Amino acid sequence: MIDTAGPKAPAQARRGPGLERRVYIRAAVIAVLLLLALLVLPLLMSAYYTDTMTQVAIYSIVTLGLGLLVGRVGLYSLGQLAVLTIGAWVGARLLFGTGQPYILVLIEAGLVTMIIGSLITLPALRLRGLYLALITLMLAGGVTVIEATINFPNGGGGFSGYNGSLLHIPQIRRPSFAGTDPAFYRFSVIVAIVMFLLVFAHLKMRPGRAWAAIKQSEPSALAAGINTTFYKLWAMALAAFVTGVAGALLAGADRELFSIDFPIQNSIELLAVVLMGGAFALTGAVIAAFLQAFIPALLQIWGVPNDWLIILFGIGVMQVLATAPGGIADQFPKDMMRLYRRITRGRSRPAAAIIGSGGAAGPPGTGSVSTGPAGNGGGTA
Amino acid sequence: MPSWAEFQPYIVTGLALGGLYALSGVGLVVLYRATGVLNLAFGAVGAMGAFIAYSIIQAGNPGWLGWITCILFGGVVTLGYGLVFGPALAGRGPLVQSVSTLGLALVLFGAIDLAWPTTGGQSPSISFPTDNGGFSVGQLQVNWTQVIALALGIVITAGTGAFLRYTKLGTAMRAMANDREITATLGVPVRRVEAAAWLGCGLLSGIAGIMLADLSALDDTTLVFTVVISSLAAALIGRLRSIPVTFVAALVIGLVHDLITPINSIANYQDMTPFVLAAVALLVMSRGQVMTRSREEG
Repeated sequence: MIDTAGPKAPAQARRGPGLERRVYIRAAVIAVLLLLALLVLPLLMSAYYTDTMTQVAIYSIVTLGLGLLVGRVGLYSLGQLAVLTIGAWVGARLLFGTGQPYILVLIEAGLVTMIIGSLITLPALRLRGLYLALITLMLAGGVTVIEATINFPNGGGGFSGYNGSLLHIPQIRRPSFAGTDPAFYRFSVIVAIVMFLLVFAHLKMRPGRAWAAIKQSEPSALAAGINTTFYKLWAMALAAFVTGVAGALLAGADRELFSIDFPIQNSIELLAVVLMGGAFALTGAVIAAFLQAFIPALLQIWGVPNDWLIILFGIGVMQVLATAPGGIADQFPKDMMRLYRRITRGRSRPAAAIIGSGGAAGPPGTGSVSTGPAGNGGGTA
Repeated sequence: MPSWAEFQPYIVTGLALGGLYALSGVGLVVLYRATGVLNLAFGAVGAMGAFIAYSIIQAGNPGWLGWITCILFGGVVTLGYGLVFGPALAGRGPLVQSVSTLGLALVLFGAIDLAWPTTGGQSPSISFPTDNGGFSVGQLQVNWTQVIALALGIVITAGTGAFLRYTKLGTAMRAMANDREITATLGVPVRRVEAAAWLGCGLLSGIAGIMLADLSALDDTTLVFTVVISSLAAALIGRLRSIPVTFVAALVIGLVHDLITPINSIANYQDMTPFVLAAVALLVMSRGQVMTRSREEG
């Protein structure tokens, strides 16, 4: 999806016209899906699913940012949910405190979050990967503590904008053109598209190449003249920016924010879904957002405790890291291909397939490597 | 600012807490040095063990059965994870290996919530007979559980240090911390040494879990995250390498955390102590160091 788009004349010509066509087909499919999501879905969805899909759109921005860090630069951040709540806090505060247009607030929240996020992670960026992961985990804990203490703005005065004794809590305002739930859903999808394009553009240009070099090997990148700390900080800042925008969007979507809605385990869940969805492809971010925001809503309707999902995510993380590092975005098409081949092969000798499925483990070669999250994602993606 | 007398009781609780953080931190460091894995599921394993112990004791069994089950549970689960995922992820680097333990943490966290749902009624708790006995120093009341916690921290830190230095297994672990490949070439049974490290780390997580359930609270979020974060911070200050530094850092974190309690203006922020201390320590220590080696070692 990333490497093939765009006209790069000589290399592209050598790879033949088939690839070009595949790119166009893929772009067309994405465009059709987006149009469906923007125009048709709002007409079909109940209020509950409109809310849920708004969350999916917002969380796709968050998983986009985290996927960028994990998949492109190799920075495992466990504090991305904390970054989201910083964005939500700043967004809510600005929306209550000022009369600025909503879109301006989105950008401002993104910028403030970017500055805070960069400042906090700056000391850790000089350290190696594991330390960064640990520092961000502690950051997540720290931010949770701060937010539990100062609370989210609810229309009160002062710096925190929180007033515990308010009887009537005003709702966080939405833009005038997106006041209703379906309209706000459309607005969220459009913002998400813009954020995806922003990250996509970064990946296609100089920073993207620098990140790729850093991910391969930091010493080599350094030797090639890449300022690794600068570009790592850039990635962190970009991820914090889009996550901050998502936070301000979340403020408008939820209309009231409570620190209890962002427990610390969600930070870890977020990394889990990003790894499961696939950190190396932008589609992985969308799959991850569905895992994070859509499946819990589905489970709630079905009356299944959310804890099962946490357990499933835990198993998914271990399985993805051990056998399918590309996540669902990478593994699912492969599994489908393998399934297709097995079905077509099975037609010629059905007896073998029956014997194979009868055994507990199955003969080597027929057992699919990835059954857990890939199969699970198949139902939702 | 509160008076000195108000701070005094928190010195005792802080040291007890610090002792347990030290024990946990040492467990993390030893496993990290021997296998390259930072066990982020440390708190979750201990928490689950503590909840199981709670159920066993609730069912009318003697207390010691619950405590031993908790410790053994920690050892078995951690060893099992190490045996399955240690070899599967070997060679993928400490980062991936450590993130994978988060998967175990999530599984256990979900399972705890499922099996012991938080209800409005009486919250589960664990208490030792040593909670009631004790002695007083001046006006300070010290109970035996607190003494045991600090003593365990000291004994296990010293014991681990001696173990690594003087025993054959300990020497093998130190060798593996330096270079796994060369150690294997020299004929050390790498898998078996790693298994021993996993088992040791797991037993320590069980001990930490049951003790903290008594001293702090039998609450999954606290046990899973606060403990891991605090002992991680201590291990981090020790650069995931030095056991004495980890020990001291853990005591300081426990002390500072509890000593903040009577200061009203910042009492709400006391859980940020490990984060702040670790961040400051990292800032100070990383000065002048360029750490861009591709291989991550402690």
